[in-house]
Amino acid sequence: MTASAASLDDAPAPVLQELRADEHAWANIAPRYGVTNPEPPWKVSLTATLECLSAGETLPSLERRHIEDRLGETIFRDLSGAELQLVTLAQILLKRGVLSEQDLAERLRAVRARLEAE
Amino acid sequence: MSHDHDHDDHDHDHDHGDGHVHPAAPMVEEITDFEVLEIAVCELAIEKGLFTAEDHRRFTEWAEQIGPAAGSRLVAKAWTDPAYKARVLSDPVGACKEIGIDWAEPTGSGTPSDYMNLRVLEDTPTLHHVIVCTLCSCYPRPLLGHSPYWYRSPNYRRRLIRWPRQVLAEFGLVLPPEVEVRVEDSNQKCRFMVLPVRPEGTDGWTEEQLAEIVTRDTMIGVALPRPGRTADDVRPVHKARRPVPHEGGAEAHP
Repeated sequence: MTASAASLDDAPAPVLQELRADEHAWANIAPRYGVTNPEPPWKVSLTATLECLSAGETLPSLERRHIEDRLGETIFRDLSGAELQLVTLAQILLKRGVLSEQDLAERLRAVRARLEAE
Repeated sequence: MSHDHDHDDHDHDHDHGDGHVHPAAPMVEEITDFEVLEIAVCELAIEKGLFTAEDHRRFTEWAEQIGPAAGSRLVAKAWTDPAYKARVLSDPVGACKEIGIDWAEPTGSGTPSDYMNLRVLEDTPTLHHVIVCTLCSCYPRPLLGHSPYWYRSPNYRRRLIRWPRQVLAEFGLVLPPEVEVRVEDSNQKCRFMVLPVRPEGTDGWTEEQLAEIVTRDTMIGVALPRPGRTADDVRPVHKARRPVPHEGGAEAHP
């Protein structure tokens, strides 16, 4: 295993450990509201992000899928579907230094504040 | 257009101008951590110049409009038009264009994940095809839309090649022994879809009627079309497992 792969498997980035995975996973939250769409509404945007990153060769699709398979059976074994895709992407970008923990944590707070604004 | 909604007193019923008030579909009325994360990652990636907002918009529009209805139309047309069916088998990408599906979208050369090389696998009464991608999750997205979760799961990908009849049986598809089952493994160079056999009891049907019974699963090969079956069954997600032999030689089933 390469050093980069070992680092990816090591542990979820701290900012990702704060996600309320069970409570907020689409498979759990959608039935509570009677929603039958099998995919969360943000999945389309995530798909576009993944395609853009692959097209720009920042993160080729095949490489990402292999990492997703591995992390889905190790540190992210409790996630599946779109959530696993998304968290794997964030883990890769953070562990490779493409995004910083601080930038992402600040942006998470800012986005939530924006979405919850009255 | 202005939107003057009072969100504290909004019953979500919509008048479409036809005199009928339609109740709106239910929505998840809270903001999830994953929704926030998806927006945050996308925004930061754009700010860091990994791609542009325009790139993202183009791929989003493409991702929103793909779905299995395109494949259903293709199969229904092939069932009713022998000349078209011949083109489907000899030049699938060209045949897709005839029904408005352009594999070159949205970039002019397709997406990084959808190679513009399609093969349509024709079933016969004695030959049944089913597709998989053991490597990752290659799928004919321009025709079938986004792959279902179980198609991407290690459970399906690892087991279908080795135990095709057992896996198909888990989908409720039990084929007689005289029907050969052929598993086609997608790869980085080629995409596949199944052209199922037109079922009995559909004589005189229009293309629209036929398209209704050509569901996504019938074009993957884990189900067969039949009159009255217009939707795929919801499948539970199983974790990867291997059959465990036990006394008596039978395999354990969950």
